[in-house]
Amino acid sequence: MSELPFRTRAALALQREVGRFSSIVWIPPIVFTLRVLMKYRVKNAAELRKRYRALMKETDGPVLICANHLTMVDSAILAWALGGSWWYVFHYRRMPWNLPEYKNFASIWFSRFASWVTKCIPVVRGGPRQQVSGVIKRVQHVISRGDTALIFAEGGRSRTGRVEVDSAAHGTGRIMAAVEDCKALCVYLRGDRQVTWSTVPALGDSFHVDFELFQPESLHRGLRRSQDLAQQIVAKLARMEEEYFASR
Amino acid sequence: MTREEIFAKVVEIIRPFVKNQEALDSIGDSTNILKDLKVNSARLVDIILDFEDAFDIEVEDEDADAVNTVGDAVKLIEARIS
Repeated sequence: MSELPFRTRAALALQREVGRFSSIVWIPPIVFTLRVLMKYRVKNAAELRKRYRALMKETDGPVLICANHLTMVDSAILAWALGGSWWYVFHYRRMPWNLPEYKNFASIWFSRFASWVTKCIPVVRGGPRQQVSGVIKRVQHVISRGDTALIFAEGGRSRTGRVEVDSAAHGTGRIMAAVEDCKALCVYLRGDRQVTWSTVPALGDSFHVDFELFQPESLHRGLRRSQDLAQQIVAKLARMEEEYFASR
Repeated sequence: MTREEIFAKVVEIIRPFVKNQEALDSIGDSTNILKDLKVNSARLVDIILDFEDAFDIEVEDEDADAVNTVGDAVKLIEARIS
């Protein structure tokens, strides 16, 4: 894995520390919005968080959270579902870094600042490969130093409402391939009333969240290895989705 | 394999992924695969994997980052073949 330039590493460290010290200010309003204003509920939240916290405690090495993607607030719901709120204030490295689409918030200075504080590394989807590569290297850097990051394994919101096994985001595999001993925490999230993709889940929706730690392996090398790892992760999410629908 | 043969094969591989078919009429070394040919960025990886199969080469992720134009692709393949 190639080392990032000093300035980039320093910028990420600054972003992380400002986010950490201000987390007591920005985490509660986000959770308030999800719980009170949007009336969202996470099924078996206490048990889920206990399981997640125990897993994080016993897991050595880098972890990349790989999730399915149906709405634009999935990353906030996932972080809240897995860690709650106050836990992150004291375990800030477990607050996942996110990769939001730059165009979604770039036009307003406040949203740019808010995304910076909340551990976001903006990405221009479909942008030049070298630019996307720079983002991927930042993620590799932060997770190899003990933080977690969240990536949507299909690259974008599923247009069919189901995990699209043919849409594996290559970047996921690339991160897994480049970071030694990296594990994928595959997380399947779905609101009971979520039929297909949307901007936000329905008001008052209840969410099923499940996760499995997974370390994909590949006999391939280079680009094909990254692609193989990415496809294995999406296939895992598709299996988790099948289990979800089978148990409904 | 000559440069012209590589170029022709590269165009043949890219063709099914091209959304702007008109741009294929004037395709050259400087044609940008994403911007000019309107190839979906996610499909660029598939194209490079097809290069691997067609030319029996292996490409690293970082080398693939340098592929922006048709000429870049030809250059990468030439370097791998030789």
